[in-house]
Amino acid sequence: MTDSQAFPLRLRSVTVRYGGRTALQDVDLEVPRGQFLALAGPNGSGKSTLLRAALGFLAPAHGSVELFGDDVRGLSFAERARRVAWVPQDENTRDDVPLGEYVLYGRYAHLSWLQGETPVDREAATRALAAVGLSHRATDGILSVSGGERQRAILARALVQDSPLLLLDEPTTHLDIGHQLDLLGRVRELSRERGVTVVAALHDLNLAARFADRIVVLFRGRRVADGPPTEVLSEELLARVWGVVADLRRDPRTGVPYLLPHHLLPPAASGPAPLLEKGPVHVVGGGGAGAAYLRALSEAGFRVTAGALHLLDSDLETAESLGAVTAVEVPFAPIGPEVRARLKALLGAARAIVVAPFPVGPSNLPNLEEVRSSLGHTPIFLVRRASGVEWDFTGGRASAIDEELRLGGARVVEGPADLLSALAGIFGTPIA
Amino acid sequence: MDDPARSPSAPNRIPGRRPWFLGLFVLALALGVFFSPLLGTVAVAPETVLRILLHQISAGALFPNPCAGTAVPPSGCTGLIEIVWDARLSEVMLAVLVGAGLGISGGTLQGVFRNPLADPFLLGISSGGTLGTALVVVLRIGVGEQNLLLPLFAFVGAIATSLVILAAARSRFGSVETLLLTGVALSSFLSAVLSLLLVYSPSGSLQVNFWLLGNLGSLDWTQDGIVFGAVLLAGTFLVSYGREVNLLQLGSDVAQSLGVDSRKVRVRLLLLASVATAAAVAFTGVIGFVGLVSPHVVRRVAGNDYRVVLPGSALVGAGFLLAARDVSLVAFPGTLLPIGIFTSFVGAPFFAYLLFRRRSASTMGAG
Repeated sequence: MTDSQAFPLRLRSVTVRYGGRTALQDVDLEVPRGQFLALAGPNGSGKSTLLRAALGFLAPAHGSVELFGDDVRGLSFAERARRVAWVPQDENTRDDVPLGEYVLYGRYAHLSWLQGETPVDREAATRALAAVGLSHRATDGILSVSGGERQRAILARALVQDSPLLLLDEPTTHLDIGHQLDLLGRVRELSRERGVTVVAALHDLNLAARFADRIVVLFRGRRVADGPPTEVLSEELLARVWGVVADLRRDPRTGVPYLLPHHLLPPAASGPAPLLEKGPVHVVGGGGAGAAYLRALSEAGFRVTAGALHLLDSDLETAESLGAVTAVEVPFAPIGPEVRARLKALLGAARAIVVAPFPVGPSNLPNLEEVRSSLGHTPIFLVRRASGVEWDFTGGRASAIDEELRLGGARVVEGPADLLSALAGIFGTPIA
Repeated sequence: MDDPARSPSAPNRIPGRRPWFLGLFVLALALGVFFSPLLGTVAVAPETVLRILLHQISAGALFPNPCAGTAVPPSGCTGLIEIVWDARLSEVMLAVLVGAGLGISGGTLQGVFRNPLADPFLLGISSGGTLGTALVVVLRIGVGEQNLLLPLFAFVGAIATSLVILAAARSRFGSVETLLLTGVALSSFLSAVLSLLLVYSPSGSLQVNFWLLGNLGSLDWTQDGIVFGAVLLAGTFLVSYGREVNLLQLGSDVAQSLGVDSRKVRVRLLLLASVATAAAVAFTGVIGFVGLVSPHVVRRVAGNDYRVVLPGSALVGAGFLLAARDVSLVAFPGTLLPIGIFTSFVGAPFFAYLLFRRRSASTMGAG
């Protein structure tokens, strides 16, 4: 029987196939009691499949799914319903019934054959409707309320099921932003106060980051990232999994990461993944000095990152048109600590760093300072500056760093073509 | 509970459960059963009919001589009792039982298939029964007018057909849509086989046609007893599954997540509905529209809760068929019109009216 120490949900190398298509591949997952886990991933990545496997709707081709230590396929449907409640993405109800009755359906697994609902059940339904803010709609028909109200009614029905594990499949799809926050807030409260374990498939990564204790990212049926939101979400992951270029910021009040999506990566023949095979190469530029290098690298098949750049800088425009991940500061302001941290992350992820011949002033000097700290970790390429052109507007501090870089092993290149052949030495790729 | 007045958009018609309607249905049906024997092909004075009924019900305690005060001599009273009690009342009861069986089957099938057009004949159950009858007639199995093989074969044919569909339901491809299409295809196929049989045996077509039109002609209480047993058995189980049918309306997966073994319940419901239908059609033949219309009537007046819809469909179906019998006797006095003609004649326009009203109501609601 139920082992109270067992994980509410546990997948052991689960593989699920639909016909010839593999929807889940060797997924291992352990969800401890009381955790709020968000499942993320692009459309078709396997989120719903994972939930349906957890509910026992799908027989895994390989591996097993356990609810509180027991194989879900070995449990009766009523027993499953007492252990796990489901809020489906869409529900195609045919008949109009009052919300009060509709919510009572959730009590089915707790009633014996022919037993009518008791006042206790009715009270539970009333409470659940109140919990989702629908008390005033109890006598209205489920088909006559709005999509958002229906979704909340479905949550109320799951609540009266009184199951210690709650699975939600895109519960916020039909909700406005206020109700999105409200619904997920209630769910989190439930997990905090009553120890209910929650697994929610969420498309909105900002909501996932805000409410979940843990984010598991699925991509093409595999678990590709897993951990607390602050650790899991990265620009690199967004580019790799969603093919999206985005800025990752941090909510200054809560420290929770949030995303500002920019645009899609340029369409590649076989999706975004191959773009990652070379690179990333980070280009530090500004004022149009980096554009030629960004373009040359991108055309040669490298994934490029750029920054820190100021908004409206022409290099930024080039970088974004190439799908580069960037660190961006507001115009004319010195590079602040937040952008600097982003730059640090981009430099840390880079496999090579290119310093374009850009003019350096006090506001963008941190670019060079950060490049300096990568010395010895990452190959650095300095583009030779044309003689007679003044570029150091920092009273010699930039020149001093430039000197340090040369002495520290940075390699000087003459132009884009020279840079590519130099990089070929690192990546071993033939240059066209 | 909140003050309903605070909800400005509360609809006039609450889609809730109104179980007290069942009481009204029962009352109306009881009155119908009692007064329907007044009508028949042979003229009997109304007071005499009522006296005979009370005499029989009270086992002779009331009106020891029900024919007293009439022109009928005491010796002829036994004949009148036979007409009123054994012929008319057993016919009335057959109408009630068959109507109940068809009604509850219709309600169940509409619930299982989540389809308002599902009815006992959609799945080919009637075609199977017809084919069974045709086999008896064409192959000249058994002889005599009281050939009980006819209903037996009809029953077996109907059940066999539904077993084929149930086999499809048990397979892993047994989605609701697959079942519905299997039934429709099977129905067409069986009709084709029937036509083929009749082409080779034109002499049997009259008897088979009679079956196809549906009739309530009753000779004694035996068939009432058989239909009663089958309909009561299937009906009791079906009514007990009201809550499961409610949950099936949310979709198979959702029902499963709430604890209903959707596939198993579906198979059981189909089997029980088949038994009720087969029992109903075995003696009376094809009687259309009762199974289709009755559940819609119940839903309109008593809400969508299947714990009410299922027994309600049985009661309304019984009332519908009884009313059809009575009206046909009033409209065509002295004639025994095949009841199936009449139910379709009345049922089809009524159904169209229901659909039209529903369509316009929902359009207004959506606007």
